[in-house]
Amino acid sequence: MYNPDHTKPGSLKSRFTTRFLRALSKIHAHKPISSSSPTEMFQRYQRIKAAADKSMAYSVRSRRTWSRAMLWKLRTRSCGRRSVKTSTIIKSQQAIMKKTRHEKQNENTTTTATTGEDGVGFCVEEDELREIVPGGEAMDLCNLLDETAHYIKCLTTQVQVMKKIADFYSL
Amino acid sequence: MLHRLESLESCNYNGMDVAVLEKQAAGLKWQQQNYVVQNSNLVDLCASSVPQFQGLFGSNLGRGQMIELKRPEVFLGSDDFQEFVNFPVAGPEFGDSEKLDLVPHEAAADYCISRTSSCQMTAHNTSVMKEEREDTILEKMESAIGSGKESFNKRKAEAVADHKSKGKRIKGEGESEVKAKCSTEISRDSSKENSKASEVQKPDYILVRAHRGQATDSHSLAERARREKISKKMKCLQDLVPGCNKITGKTGMLDEIINYVQSLQRQVEFLSMKIAALNSSVENLPMKEFPAYVANFPAAAKLPEMAGLPSYFQLNPLQKESVNCMLNESMLPPQTATEGIASASVSSSSGITQLQPFSAWNMDPQEHVWIYVRHGRYMKDEEPVQHTCT
Repeated sequence: MYNPDHTKPGSLKSRFTTRFLRALSKIHAHKPISSSSPTEMFQRYQRIKAAADKSMAYSVRSRRTWSRAMLWKLRTRSCGRRSVKTSTIIKSQQAIMKKTRHEKQNENTTTTATTGEDGVGFCVEEDELREIVPGGEAMDLCNLLDETAHYIKCLTTQVQVMKKIADFYSL
Repeated sequence: MLHRLESLESCNYNGMDVAVLEKQAAGLKWQQQNYVVQNSNLVDLCASSVPQFQGLFGSNLGRGQMIELKRPEVFLGSDDFQEFVNFPVAGPEFGDSEKLDLVPHEAAADYCISRTSSCQMTAHNTSVMKEEREDTILEKMESAIGSGKESFNKRKAEAVADHKSKGKRIKGEGESEVKAKCSTEISRDSSKENSKASEVQKPDYILVRAHRGQATDSHSLAERARREKISKKMKCLQDLVPGCNKITGKTGMLDEIINYVQSLQRQVEFLSMKIAALNSSVENLPMKEFPAYVANFPAAAKLPEMAGLPSYFQLNPLQKESVNCMLNESMLPPQTATEGIASASVSSSSGITQLQPFSAWNMDPQEHVWIYVRHGRYMKDEEPVQHTCT
């Protein structure tokens, strides 16, 4: 019954688990569970979700673009209005990136050899994928697929661990 | 014999070098022990005559080249080759001088020419010999030319690359292929249909193979390399995402990937909500033991999951109410809303019944709520329930 992945001390799973549990205990300690009004519950949910994302991103350590983007997002969110300016700057940068990407795509479509293949973009789905994967706006398709693969792997780990925690709590 | 050699020397010297080199290589391959000395001779020859070879390869030999190539093939297959093999037994006698080194080879060439008409070759042998000869030529070229002659190395690399990938294709393809191959080896611009395009084998270069009928300009090559990379990564993603084996198209695959990522994200949200709700009723555990505990949590005790869908859990009525309110107030995106994440109390004896899915948004907090499950299965409480469908 023992999962061999967990026995590795430095594996992603164990790193995420320790961090997330630490965060949970912090949240628990911060606000003792006296009232369970919906707003408080909702706040707690938000905090836990942020903690989960944060611990996952920290476990990946900024080796990946998506983790860096996620950490940045979380930090700016927590900072609040101070970072409105920077967020607008970043958004404009992203818009520029999109524009250049589309221009590149248009160029490539005109110069691609006619081999009947879908040469450049999957346009709609590609954009959707960029929206879903954090930090995906500023990447070309090649790197985006890499990031997606790693992101999927991390998400599955996260879901597994959280399921186990929730099951444990529910017993 | 000597006057013949001189005549040979005078005419088409460039072509002779190639033939000479090839015959040397062929001979070397056949009986290597006799050729230890000849090997060194070959190296000397090559080293000294590299500029000549450069000129050789730079010029457009075309037909002359082909003719010269024919002879060794013919030559190799014959029984007379044995005589050739034994011929330069007197190799050591020739010493170090360049001219003398050429003598046995030219004699051999002369020997070849005289034997041309008398030899009978089968097509199979021809092709086999061709391959072996090219093999040996390229090997010898690699070993001999270790100097820093860059352009020559490039051409060698091209030839090597061409040869290696050609492999068994040479068999049965006839001489036109050989001719084309030679012309590509020699000429830098290869824009013909049968030509192969390869880049220099430097560490930061990517070797790209252009097949028959494909354009060979740098743009399309780069595009093709990029496309191949992308398709490779799509295959990796296919392994990660469950249930993607049947889907072949790129767009379908991407759709599936997007759906999967979205479902994973929703699962994370749901689980964090669940933990938020449940956390209130449990004391905090010692941190050191918990990770190991979680790690070793037996799979059998886990509640059965349905294909990556959120699992059901137990809540007391107060929590249920708060969760429901939370749902109603929450800022969950419409997609998750329609999926209707809600909680219900589940008795262990109740089985999973198949019913139509619906969302829990308009439900009265006092009522029990249903869990909406994507594929229509959900948990039902034993107590009677009143609900409204949306």
